[in-house]
Amino acid sequence: MISTIKSNLPVFVVIIPLFIAFILPTFARRLKLVEGLVISVETLWLLSAAYLASIVLVQNGIPIIYSMGGWTAPWGIELKVDNLAAFFLLVVTGISLPVALFAKGNLTEEVGTNERVSRFYVLLLLLGGAMAGMAVTNDMFNVFVLVEVATLSCCALVAAKNHPRAAEAAFKYLILATLGSSLVLGGIGFIYILTGHLNMGFAHNELIQVWQNSPHVVWMAMTFIFVGFGVKSALFPLHVWLPDAHSNAPTPASAILSGLAVKAYIICLLKFLYVVFGQNLMQQFNLHRILVLGGMIAIIGGSLFALNEDELKRRLAFSTVAQIGYLFLGMGLMNTIGLTGMLFYLASHAVIKSALFLSAGSMISATGKKNISEMVGVGKKMPITMAVFTIASMGLIGIPLFSGFIGKWYLLLGSLESGNILASAVIILGSVLCAAYLLPIIRIAYFEPAPEEDIKDPGLPQKTALIILAGAVFVLGIIPGPILELAKRAAVQLLMIQ
Amino acid sequence: MKILIEKLIVNYPYTIAVLLFVIGALIVLTKSNLFKKLIGINIMESSIFIMFVGAGYIRGGAVPIVDKVNPEALYVNPLPSALMLTGIVVSVSVTAFALALIIRLHKSYGTVDAKLIAEMRREVKE
Repeated sequence: MISTIKSNLPVFVVIIPLFIAFILPTFARRLKLVEGLVISVETLWLLSAAYLASIVLVQNGIPIIYSMGGWTAPWGIELKVDNLAAFFLLVVTGISLPVALFAKGNLTEEVGTNERVSRFYVLLLLLGGAMAGMAVTNDMFNVFVLVEVATLSCCALVAAKNHPRAAEAAFKYLILATLGSSLVLGGIGFIYILTGHLNMGFAHNELIQVWQNSPHVVWMAMTFIFVGFGVKSALFPLHVWLPDAHSNAPTPASAILSGLAVKAYIICLLKFLYVVFGQNLMQQFNLHRILVLGGMIAIIGGSLFALNEDELKRRLAFSTVAQIGYLFLGMGLMNTIGLTGMLFYLASHAVIKSALFLSAGSMISATGKKNISEMVGVGKKMPITMAVFTIASMGLIGIPLFSGFIGKWYLLLGSLESGNILASAVIILGSVLCAAYLLPIIRIAYFEPAPEEDIKDPGLPQKTALIILAGAVFVLGIIPGPILELAKRAAVQLLMIQ
Repeated sequence: MKILIEKLIVNYPYTIAVLLFVIGALIVLTKSNLFKKLIGINIMESSIFIMFVGAGYIRGGAVPIVDKVNPEALYVNPLPSALMLTGIVVSVSVTAFALALIIRLHKSYGTVDAKLIAEMRREVKE
């Protein structure tokens, strides 16, 4: 029994959340039961991901390969838990658990009746399963299907809030995200036409032999996939849907969307660029320069938009746009240290941004105000929430001892190693701008006179979730340990593919 | 030029796919009616499906069921068609969800025009 579970674990991490998601509606009215089930499933999920990651760490780079239904690689769908997959699984499960804990008993205000809240959990688990699938799958068409599952559940999560603006944001998101996934599917089509394979490894081996016969098709495929995932992960000029969607979603959904969903698409793009095309083809078509340039524009553009925004959640959403720039920049650096930095920054930004969104959400629901200028003296009334917000802001700015620092430091070293002085200047400038748009919030919250109203910290599950996330910001910054090790090994493994 | 046109005509599934894709993308980006945007998305997705199915088709190929009398016969590649079946299912669910959202928007704003909705929202803000 146990050995069966162990040998099938790569598929269980994808299927368990999907399966439970479809059971939940049967007892939708008993919300306590639903919440308990969701939290226990997420715990189980985290443990399975940690088990897989430990196996991958011990095996020293040999991936766990699982053939779906016993059909081996070029014909069947292959799941592959390598360093990158184990790393992203850990991030997904590690963030999902505190967010589910935060949502406990806290959603009726934003979402509505018990049944609506249960449906919200269904979507949360669907999104989680799809993201785990994107991490482990090694099949291109499977990536498309999982991307669509994730997109639909993301849009529905945005629309879960009982407000017309949420529906409008969700529609805008849906249209642009579907445009993006059509482009991705087109790109996969080009690769399939050229190589006749859907398995990433086989497609790569074929592609490096035949690409010279039709360079234009390869170029088109690369462009389609880059732009498609660029729209979905909100690379700067294509980010227009993100601020509306992330700021209008219910608080736990904003945390998951900004912290994880956007990153899942970046992991997919990383897989396509480094595993399917390989670094030689990327250099051939100068894509790595476009990635670095796009990243730099995103860092500056997103930060400037964030500076201009007075609505708290929208400012955080624009800050996500800026931080996505760091990830694209790191993806284009093409050296081990830069890629390690990019992956570690992805993990630390996931932790930090969910902590920021959750604490901001509690502040908004406690005060009933949306704008930063109205948040006077919140720090005195809600000490724990604001402390978490402050710790997370320090992490995002990149102050040493907090987790954002290590990622930014590696990115800086990577950009210097690749000889791109402009990129390193932009990385530092991004930190300064980040301080410029986050520190005023802290100043207003702590150093302005507190209002007379009765404002309190949120309940116990919410506090626990916030403290776990704030603790993670510290722990990742002081002892990055296995996460950094996995990121390093994943970077080495990705760069080994020519 | 003549060779180019000949190529376009010989590979007509791809030509049609490109045309449809451009038309769909144009509708999505320029029309402000939400239904028209949705129709544009559907046209765009169909163009990708046509490209896939066209890629699997072999001129003169038989139905991909092994023929014992003539096992060397040329078969059409069934895989892209099977993949596009999944694609169509995905596209239908996207359409259904978008229609549900349009109904909700129409209930709260009384219109399906994106520009009017944006204007109304701005007025509420001010």
